[in-house]
Parts: sequence; structure tokens; C-alpha cells
Amino acid sequence: MSQKRIAKELAELVESPPEGIKVELADESDLYLWNVYMEGPEGSPFQNGKFLVKLKLPTEYPFKPPAVSFGTKIYHPNVTNDDKGSMCLGMLRPDEWKPSSKIAAVLQFARQLLVEPMPDDAVEGRIAEQYKNDRARYDELAKEWTRKYATA
Amino acid sequence: MADARDRVFCHACGGVWLRDEHGLECPHCQSDFTEIVEIPPDPEAEAPDPPEAFPEEPRQPPRRANTNPWADHNPWAHHDDDPDEWGPGDGLRTHNYRSPDGRFTFTSTTFNSGFGPQRSGQRSRQAPPDPLTPVIWGLDRIFHGLADTYQQQNRPRSGPGSAPEPSTAPPPWVAGGMFRHGHDFDMHHDDDTHGPYSGEPGLRPRNTDGPQPQVTPLRTLGDILAQLQDNFGNRQTNIAGEAHFTTGTHPLALLSTLLNFDRHGDAVYSQEELDRVISQLVEQNMGGTAPPPASQNAISSLPKKPVDQEMLGHEGKAECSICMDPVEIGTEVTVLPCTHWFHYSCIEMWLNQHNTCPHCRRPIDLPNEPEPSRHR
Repeated sequence: MSQKRIAKELAELVESPPEGIKVELADESDLYLWNVYMEGPEGSPFQNGKFLVKLKLPTEYPFKPPAVSFGTKIYHPNVTNDDKGSMCLGMLRPDEWKPSSKIAAVLQFARQLLVEPMPDDAVEGRIAEQYKNDRARYDELAKEWTRKYATA
Repeated sequence: MADARDRVFCHACGGVWLRDEHGLECPHCQSDFTEIVEIPPDPEAEAPDPPEAFPEEPRQPPRRANTNPWADHNPWAHHDDDPDEWGPGDGLRTHNYRSPDGRFTFTSTTFNSGFGPQRSGQRSRQAPPDPLTPVIWGLDRIFHGLADTYQQQNRPRSGPGSAPEPSTAPPPWVAGGMFRHGHDFDMHHDDDTHGPYSGEPGLRPRNTDGPQPQVTPLRTLGDILAQLQDNFGNRQTNIAGEAHFTTGTHPLALLSTLLNFDRHGDAVYSQEELDRVISQLVEQNMGGTAPPPASQNAISSLPKKPVDQEMLGHEGKAECSICMDPVEIGTEVTVLPCTHWFHYSCIEMWLNQHNTCPHCRRPIDLPNEPEPSRHR
């Protein structure tokens, strides 16, 4: 069942991709690993950046949530600043996940998080503090990182 | 003394009274949700952190079950009682020293192999040598070597170093190297550490900064290793400002990995191992707050019915939100109490994991309850 649903979602996303999001399989033979190219939303410090987002689907999908991580370094309170780039999404937590959530919704949620970080749910506490207390500096650094890492 | 001064605290109204005057029931609000609070006699009122009653090993039975007989107990006072008696058998004992102002504590651990230094002749006849003893001697030397090297690398000031010779010295795992705490205190570590170990055997490690439940006595070398690891770990964080420890594999961790010693317990000796255990626990408890599975009975008794026009809604088409396949009129679907419906095979797989509607999270076995407000 998971394969059928994943294939269906993939086809939908390829056919009518949400704004700023382009998906493809990381490896044509593996339905469970997607590469997502996400454009930094306009009006966010990530504007003009192009971020590689890796989506990993469990074999139990849709009964278990997918995992989202950033392959491109990004300065964001909700993305770990390490080589994993894990993104913390409430809807992906095991106790919040609903099988009726679609990958498209997950990706749109992730992109929205670039516009509106959730500092109270942060994985990078220092960036979250800065986002709350010194927005100008946060914007500056996020822009700098975007320029450095997310523009080809 | 301590009993007469017992104070009782009421959790309901916050009142405090003397137990011998009013008993255990709150005289203010008659609540019995009360607790005996220990206010130990404090000779130095200005001490910043007055010693709480230490849960010392029970050398005598507590006088009352629900009071702490050690409220006024001086944990290092008893060592002079009968310092000559050095038990013949194997035993581990611990000695705690706490400075009068409560600023630091010092714990030494003594392993009594039964070969008391002065009386080894008589003792060895009474208690046959433990076959493990040579092993432990060897380990002890390794520990001392490692610990000394480790500490000298990081902190030039260091106490007595080398392991004493077995034949002349007090039991060597008094741990000159291992338990040396690098604070600015004089090493209160003299002969009274050889006092008798008259309580039950085993170490009772504790943090004397506050009352703590007694932990399982340490009886094996594996336990001691774990304790060592703890001590080192704690110290790295506690006095980070004073001592700079290199990160990376700890020598003791390395050693214990090499020895793979006594791994039947729950102890781990390296950061990697700890990480592994933690991630395993996290995995096991993933969805620990998620709803439990539904019973097979509850699943199979859910009503089924063919999809009709009304269920398709305004758009005239619908899909099962689990498999996302479109559902035609007439397809038999399973309807949950919240009226959401799915293919039976789809919802069955979900309900086998969680007993809530995958759409609205309403529990399937509470058909008449309103929408749950719990929403995380």
C-alpha cells in the first residue's frame, strides 16, 4: 500500500508542484527517498536561495511520518546546524502524525516554516533566541548563509 | 532530639508546626496531606548549604519508620568508635567526609580484601584468599596509572599518586587516584578510613548536597566501574572552570571496553555506548504519548457500509485518505464513530497502531463523547 500511495503522491507533486517546490526521486529505483528543491520564500531572508530538502519515507508510510532534513546549510531555529540538517516539524512527530497528511502538505508546511520560524519549538536554541530578541541580526545572518550556501 | 524537633508541613495550606504539639494532621486546615520536614540541627547557622540528613548506611534501626533518625547524625563522627576492627571478609566500604561549611564532600571507597595490613597473617588463615584478588590488584594498578596520567595531564596539582604496595599499605583502592577530588580542601583521608565496615556490605554512593534515596549497593567491580565513570563525568561538569578535561574517549571507558567486564548490568562506560542506549530508548518510546492500539474486537465491530451519494460530499467524489485511492459509490467502507470512513484494510492497519481516527483523532471506542479537547 505504501508504494502505491507514494507513487500517487509523487505523480501529483510532479504534475502540479506547489509554489517554490520541486520534487524528484533521489534514485529512480527507490521510492522512499526524495530530493526536494525548495526556493526560499519571498520576503524571507532565504529569498533567492535554493535549498535541497531530503525527504525520507518510512516503509510503514503513511502510518508513520516521513523525515525531513536539509541538505543545504541553513540558518534557522528549527533546523539543526549540523551535517544532518534535521528539521523539527510538529506534524511529523509520531504522536501528531496523521496518515491523512500528504507529503505536499508536509513540504508546504516546511516552506512556510522558512517564513515563520517557530522559536518556541526550536532545535537551535541560540538561533531561536536571536530570532526573538535580535531579528535584524538573525535576518542578516540568515541572508548571509543563504548567499553562501544556497545560491549556486 | 530529632524526633522532638520534627516539623510537619501541610501541603494543603502551607502551614508548619511541631509534630509533638499537633501531630500529623494539620491544625489549620485539618488536611492530612502533610509531610514531616527535616530541619536538622545546624551548628553553624551561617553555613550556606546546611547538611541535610544523610541516608547513612543503617548502623542501627531507625527509631520510627517515618522519621529520619539521621537528622542530627554526624557521618564522620563514628569512625573513631572502634578503628581497629578490620573485618576479615571481602567487603566494600565507603567513607564520606563533608567539610563543616558544607562546601564540598569527599568520598573514599575501600575494598577490604581480607588481608589487613597488620594482621594479614591471622586473617589469611581465617579467610581464604579471594581468587579474584590478584586480578583486582592488577586492575587497581592500571586504574591508578590511567587516572594519574589523566589527571596530571589536565591538572598539574595532584595528590598522592602511586598505588601503594600491597604488603605494606592500607588497602590500596582507598583510591588515591580515583576518588581524589580536585577541590581546594585538605584531604581528610587518614587512618580512620580503615574503621570497621559493620553495616551490610556494599557501597552507598550519594550526593551529600541533598537527601537522596539510597541506590543499590555496589557489590561488583562492574558497579564500581560505573561509579567511577559517574564520578569522572560529574566532575567534568561540576568543576569545569577549574579542571580542563580533554574530551574524547575516557581512559576508564577504554579500559572497560577492552575488558568488557561484567556487562550483565545496566552500566555503560563510554559516551558512544550511552548515546546508543539513549537513542534506543528514544526509539522505543517514540510515540510514547501517541494513542495506544485499538483492540481487535473494537476494530472488527466497526460498522461497514457502502458509500452513498451523501458520503461523497459536494464534489461528488472522495478518496480514502489513507491509501488516497478514489472511492466509488457502492464501495464498502468502514465508518468510525466520528463519521469519517476508510477502506477496512486501510483503517485496520492504522487502528492496529492507534485507537484514534486518523483524521480527527477522536478515539474510536468513545462514540458518545464530544470532540476531544486534547490536541497536541
